[in-house]
Amino acid sequence: MIKKISLFVVLLAVILSMTASAAVTSLVLDGSTTVGPIAKTFAAYFTKKYRVPVNVSESGSGNGAKSLINGSCTIATMSRAMKAAEIAAARQKGVNPVASIVALDGLAMVVHPANPVRSLTKAQITSIYRGTITNWREVGGPNARIVVLQRESNSGTEESFKELVIGKGVQITGSAETQSSNGSLKSRVSTTLSAIGFLGHGFVDGSVKAIAVNGVFPTVAAVKNGSYPVSRPLYFYTNGQPVGVVKQFVDLPNSADGKRMITELGFINR
Amino acid sequence: MNIGTRKILDRSFTAVGIGSIVVMAVALMIVVVPIITNGIGAVFFTGTVEHRKMLFSEFKRGDSENLSSEVASSDRYRAKVYGMLTGFEAELETMAPEKKAEYKAKYSEVKAALQALLGPFPGDPAPMLTRFKYGQTRWEKAEEKLHDLLYESKWDNSNPDVMAKEYFVSRAIGFQGTSLVKLFPYVKDNMEKLLLPEFTFYWGFITDSSVDSHFFGGIWPEIQGTFFLAVGAMLFAFPLGVVAAVYFTEYARPGFLNSMLRSANSTLAGVPSIVFGMFGLAFFINTLKVSESKSVIAGALTLAIMILPTIIRAAEEAILAVPKTYREASLSLGSTKWNTIATVILPAALPGIITGGIISLGRAAGETAPIIFTAAVSVGSAIGLADVFSSPTPALSWNIYNLASEHEAAAQIRHVQYGMVLALVSIVLMLNLSAIVLRARISKKLKG
Repeated sequence: MIKKISLFVVLLAVILSMTASAAVTSLVLDGSTTVGPIAKTFAAYFTKKYRVPVNVSESGSGNGAKSLINGSCTIATMSRAMKAAEIAAARQKGVNPVASIVALDGLAMVVHPANPVRSLTKAQITSIYRGTITNWREVGGPNARIVVLQRESNSGTEESFKELVIGKGVQITGSAETQSSNGSLKSRVSTTLSAIGFLGHGFVDGSVKAIAVNGVFPTVAAVKNGSYPVSRPLYFYTNGQPVGVVKQFVDLPNSADGKRMITELGFINR
Repeated sequence: MNIGTRKILDRSFTAVGIGSIVVMAVALMIVVVPIITNGIGAVFFTGTVEHRKMLFSEFKRGDSENLSSEVASSDRYRAKVYGMLTGFEAELETMAPEKKAEYKAKYSEVKAALQALLGPFPGDPAPMLTRFKYGQTRWEKAEEKLHDLLYESKWDNSNPDVMAKEYFVSRAIGFQGTSLVKLFPYVKDNMEKLLLPEFTFYWGFITDSSVDSHFFGGIWPEIQGTFFLAVGAMLFAFPLGVVAAVYFTEYARPGFLNSMLRSANSTLAGVPSIVFGMFGLAFFINTLKVSESKSVIAGALTLAIMILPTIIRAAEEAILAVPKTYREASLSLGSTKWNTIATVILPAALPGIITGGIISLGRAAGETAPIIFTAAVSVGSAIGLADVFSSPTPALSWNIYNLASEHEAAAQIRHVQYGMVLALVSIVLMLNLSAIVLRARISKKLKG
């Protein structure tokens, strides 16, 4: 028995010495699922280039802010600006949130490709989300009940949508279905003929159809020059002015490589 | 009751029993067969030359001479494709402006489809994202992309009262009368020459790290993370659970406090796992500060709390099942109580205790909710054993969920997701099998 135990200990020691690596400061990113693709790609690039491990979680902008306030992440990725309440909570804990803009994102209103509706006005979208328009016939589509999709309360995309499209005070209809990420909202729209939802620009692909808002399609050019009415910046939030590796990471969107990664992922450079 | 009725009742009960077993077996087959067939597809599949290129440049694996001869042979066919493109581009310049604009839009779609199939065009700058650096690495995906190249998807809006219906139009028809029309049959007929499909056994799926958020590469960091979390949870929960069970069965006096403790333990066993997750975040990370942020140790502790009640219950049952005569014989020989427990009761109860432990280990490996806030990240590299106190880790259960819902290109990498599911199921199955084997061996030894 003792022999076995000592064998086990030796084995454990060997494994330990094999895998023990010099402790390097690692970066922890948490927050928006919309910024997720950028964060993950940057993380891989950064780890490869500077040998600094970067971990990324996507739990929603609200959680990102909370993590930064609790000190459990180095960079909070957010698809909306921090709210006054969050900044106050941060100050109270001695955290000084500093924003830097990563990229621009057009919030695309998406429907199933089979839906003949090509364009909606902000007013129509508001009516749909308030529940006063419930059938596609009322906005020039076929006779089908509208399946309204929204994001969870934690989502920065949801907040941006409320702020930019329907207005802050407006109550979204109780029959709206809640999806917990861009990916799951996209797959719901791509499998539901009469659904409508909203997605970050980088998530739009052939499985869904982005429609024009107030007559403007969410193209790269339209988002960049501001003519698309539903665009917003995406943020990296750090505690205090970033220094060292954190600064290197936060500055990635300004580098040539960073810009190319953002473009290839379908987001828009500032 | 007469004998006839009894017989009928008896038979119908047997029939219901057999029926329920059959239903369970069918349900199991429905779940397991797709997991296995699709999951194996992550490791065994028909790979194209693009896959071998990717393996060589990302993982330095493969025979460079062999690869370069393959690349040369496929490039001979590709050169013709690219030649047709340049030919058409020249033709485009000679066209009338309005015609040129019309073709240009269609042509860019063709180019995009071709790029998805064969990878970036020669002369183009190399893309930053690894996912765009190569063409289709898997043959079945390549066939889908070929369809995208040959046919354009359109929607039939003729009836305004219903949703449109999808139909496909051959792209070749759109280019009738131009030189590009030859491209489509050429690519279709020479697909195998262009991509050189070959049966591939990609064992690296188990041992490689992922490249470009799971587009290529394997799932080793996830497997390792799952292993660390489950074993870590076990290191905390197993000794604690056994000690608690010994206390409950041997030392605790029946009374109010004891029954309170027991019912608390049972209640704990029924608490939903997400509650443990929140508890872990609030207690281990925010209050005790076992680590600065998410870490393997915080996740393992949370999982340990979750599986503790199960281990206690299993150990208690096992100890209670030890025949009383063992204890009496030991005590009558003048042995102390502690000595009896350590040398007689625990060894005799060991098979039962270990079974409980390993079943809990399987549960710890498969749980998602407790680690969302305490340990899991969607992208991260494999960590060393020394990093468990400070680093979070990817883990199979969480990454399966992440790929299914949050990943921006979930539909394109379903095979990775299935591979992860199969890996997780196999790990849990292997743990359970080892429990059975261990139990059998120990029981045999005890019987002497």
